[in-house]
Amino acid sequence: MTAASAGDTDPRSQAVIDGIERLRPEFVLELPSSTLRAIIGHFLDRPGVRTFPIPREEEGIGILSGLVLAGRRAVMIIQDNGIGNLITALATFPQAYHLPMLIVTARRGGLGEYNSMIHNVSERTERLLDAANVRYFQLDHRSPIEEWAPTVVRAYEFAQITHRPVFLLVNLMGG
Amino acid sequence: MRTARLSRPDALRIIAELLPDQPIILTLGGTIREMFSVAGRRPNHLHVLDSMGLSVPIGVGLALGLEEDERYTRVTVIEGDGSLLMGFSVLSTIGLLQPRKLLIIVLDNGVYLATGGQPTAASTTDFVAAARACGFEARDVEGAAGLRQAIEDMMTTRGPVLLRLRVGIEAPPTPYFLEDPVVLAEDFRRWLRR
Repeated sequence: MTAASAGDTDPRSQAVIDGIERLRPEFVLELPSSTLRAIIGHFLDRPGVRTFPIPREEEGIGILSGLVLAGRRAVMIIQDNGIGNLITALATFPQAYHLPMLIVTARRGGLGEYNSMIHNVSERTERLLDAANVRYFQLDHRSPIEEWAPTVVRAYEFAQITHRPVFLLVNLMGG
Repeated sequence: MRTARLSRPDALRIIAELLPDQPIILTLGGTIREMFSVAGRRPNHLHVLDSMGLSVPIGVGLALGLEEDERYTRVTVIEGDGSLLMGFSVLSTIGLLQPRKLLIIVLDNGVYLATGGQPTAASTTDFVAAARACGFEARDVEGAAGLRQAIEDMMTTRGPVLLRLRVGIEAPPTPYFLEDPVVLAEDFRRWLRR
């Protein structure tokens, strides 16, 4: 049993879990962050959802694309310092081929970050996604907690409606 | 006696002929153009035009997604040695997930053919041993007869399986394949759910 099922899940992580659960995912692809421990732990313990690790973000984009082509409901969960790894894969396949997908992305960097070099990528996540013409939504201290779970659902629906990948940037560090 | 290496177009012709009603993922421009020239535009072919290293992961996702669909017994990825090396970690993922319908055919010419024939690391990499070390079946096949036999065997064998076929470096002139990827994806999806 993981930490997620021990009843100590923080409200933001719980809201993201609730939002993803509302999507009724069949597959969850994950590449952990310490900040994602509760969310990933929930899905690893969750019967009926095939949750598995991806070793690199771009590989996850490929597997997620194949699942989308097969018409399956799937979500990928990563941290933002892996954004640089996936840009080319994203731009040349699901963006170019109009495949809708949701990538829930935990924020790193900024206040509360303990890892000095992670800022180099994480604090530029929005600019990287903007440069790649990728749509994203954000959940952080500005977002009322009751909006978090519905926003996960709306971000997934936005991807379907616009036929493209969408990132949901979630700050689980308090920022 | 050593069998002469197949050319890549001849290998593609055999694969298209033996798998006419199963999904096939084609890697990158050179392979796509040659397949188009020997077999035409097929609705069961997904053309991955410019995503080096991504064809096998796409095949993994498709094979997982179609696991319960009885119309499809095989999801085949036609991959090159250079592209496989770019996304080599996927072998480990395949060993973990065991997508039972996945068939990877590596057409190994030992070079980056489309960019001028620069060598890849394939000459010192044993793809079959690597796949087996990651936990799934793989074997080398040789020549037209070997390829035919291996694909026919695979129709009744539980995957995942990787076949590695050494092919020549002939590059017959072929026209650019300039179709809109949105159309390519939608055509393939319509064929899948027909």
